[in-house]
Amino acid sequence: MNSPSTVWERLLTLSHVLADTPMLAVAMTILAFFAANSVYIAIGRPVWLPPVVPAATILAGMIALLGLDPDSYREGASWLMLLLGPATVALGVPLYQNIHHIRAMLWPIVLTLPIAASLAVLYTLVIAWALGASPTVMASLAPKSVTAAIALGIGEIIGSSVPMLMAALLITGVFTTLCVEVATRLLNITDERVIGFALGLNGHAIGTVRAFEISATAGAFSSLGMSLTGLFTALLLPLLFNL
Amino acid sequence: MSILRGFLILVLFFLLGESLRLVFLVPISGGILGLMLLTLYLMVTGGVSKPVASASQALISVLILLIMPGLTEIFFISGKFTGQWLAVSVSLLVGTFLSVVTTLVLLNLLARKLPPEPDHHE
Repeated sequence: MNSPSTVWERLLTLSHVLADTPMLAVAMTILAFFAANSVYIAIGRPVWLPPVVPAATILAGMIALLGLDPDSYREGASWLMLLLGPATVALGVPLYQNIHHIRAMLWPIVLTLPIAASLAVLYTLVIAWALGASPTVMASLAPKSVTAAIALGIGEIIGSSVPMLMAALLITGVFTTLCVEVATRLLNITDERVIGFALGLNGHAIGTVRAFEISATAGAFSSLGMSLTGLFTALLLPLLFNL
Repeated sequence: MSILRGFLILVLFFLLGESLRLVFLVPISGGILGLMLLTLYLMVTGGVSKPVASASQALISVLILLIMPGLTEIFFISGKFTGQWLAVSVSLLVGTFLSVVTTLVLLNLLARKLPPEPDHHE
């Protein structure tokens, strides 16, 4: 490759040269994060649109606009994603702060958690398998009810496709809030602890945002349901996928 | 300085989890093992120190920043999952509806049937 000789030529190739350092990817990601944050607040934080969707869309637009290779972006962004490890560990703090709520309904939760969290995986896997999903797709759908940081950790072990896994999480989270709304009305369930736990167990962080809109109690039980489901599924799926 | 101290503790728990995974060949990621260990540690010591609380709050508040690069790839994988999207959408929607109903019915039934434990202090 001959090196560009004029200022103008150097300017035109700048984004590709900068893409060789992780700093461009890091700056683009943070920039898209803040831009999406403003957009999200401006449209009134709708529950049906998780904030990561506008963030990823703006970011994809920036990558396309600069004509960057998605692979070289991903390589740069991996420097930022190193923080995902300690961020996953950090989820232990809210879990510890919510775990006392388990005492309010210890046995119902201890019995419901393994059954419901296993079925959340199995219903979807059986249907996907019957419709001819590939092994990679199955591995990407399986952690669908797990909060993103933990789900990515599970995906590493069982061989998920990261973008497919993320899409499955978002669809599941949004659809859970809708299903809980409809099902509680049909089944005439009013216990906020039950509603919150169901939102967190099935709809992870997206369900938990909805639960906090209902009440602080629902939110606490949703956080608890989300954390416990994440940990239970992290134990279950490696066993299931090794069979 | 406090937040940096908390960050160090989180990173150390992550490394501890990662070490356990590598030494004992546990099929669970280091971050998740670290999360379990931190939770146990907090339950045993009975409290969250200010550095750990502020570092974890800071990291959790930017979780979206850390997961958005993964989701962004969905815009660049067109064609990779051709013929799979029907299985994906039907299994997610039907599976989620079924598991929401299962959770609500089961927990509601158990919460109503079982009387509160008599030995509870709160």
